[in-house]
Amino acid sequence: MHEYSLVQAMFDQIGEAMKQHGAVAVRRVRVRIGAEAGVEPALFRTAYDVFRIRTACADAPLEIVDVAAGDELTLDRLELEVP
Amino acid sequence: MCDSCGCGDPKVISFEVRERILAGNDRAARHNREHFRDHNVVAVNLMGSPGAGKTAILEATARALGAKARLGVLAGDLATENDAVRIRAAGILAESITTGSACHLDAEMVHQGLHRLPWRTLDYLFVENVGNLVCPAIYDLGQDVNVVALSVTEGEDKPLKYPVMFHKADLVLVTKADLLPLLDVRLHTIQENLKAVMPRPDMLVVSAKSGAGIADWIDWLQALSLPRTRASTDAAGAGQIA
Repeated sequence: MHEYSLVQAMFDQIGEAMKQHGAVAVRRVRVRIGAEAGVEPALFRTAYDVFRIRTACADAPLEIVDVAAGDELTLDRLELEVP
Repeated sequence: MCDSCGCGDPKVISFEVRERILAGNDRAARHNREHFRDHNVVAVNLMGSPGAGKTAILEATARALGAKARLGVLAGDLATENDAVRIRAAGILAESITTGSACHLDAEMVHQGLHRLPWRTLDYLFVENVGNLVCPAIYDLGQDVNVVALSVTEGEDKPLKYPVMFHKADLVLVTKADLLPLLDVRLHTIQENLKAVMPRPDMLVVSAKSGAGIADWIDWLQALSLPRTRASTDAAGAGQIA
């Protein structure tokens, strides 16, 4: 169940991006997961749903792009709300 | 705020990040790797199922190589110091990394573990990962090589069931070979399955109990440190000429 640690790592990345842009909330998150990444997209989504409660991501839908080949695991795109 | 129509809606910005989610771990792993290279330490990430025989392999390695090279072990487990205690009893330095509930080691945990081990003095550092054929595979620790222990009692098809782990392996140690006469497991089938998932299939059949194959494993380990020895000899030679 390393999906939980991965989501935690992603939240750190998102936090950094929010700081950089002075954002107040996250509107949408897109990740890319390769078929050989060793990550189960459904578990990643479950972990995200558990973690995002009462965070800046609370209302941000997670979009997962399943990549057919390779071990890619990237935070691909963010939509942030800025004041 | 949206300042084009005065609706009062917050402004939303959208942009590409395109950063590996493990970028933070990759940075920590790079840091570990630089440390290992600077001090000529060969770092081996030893992975495998719980009970695959990882600790027994390290005990056998201590017996066979302990007098010739300085060995150290960081042993990862959810709980207990048992593995580190066993390895220390075999005569080599060992410290535990207890992960609590984490199913794998990451580069930062290894870094913290290094603080408790005189790792700079070592020729070989073995990181005995948490017993698990899934999660440890995706975390770079800064190691030179990944070695996966696969015991014959686990059956022939583990490489096909856990392809990510075996894909990352530089060597698979087929362990507990002394049990083969009792099992309907064919080494040839294990080898074929490894060929299907490993980019450069490499397998050694060993028994920590009987000692069979351990000499080959030691040869494999010693070959890892050769290029460095050559490089440092070359550097010394260049220094003399200058």
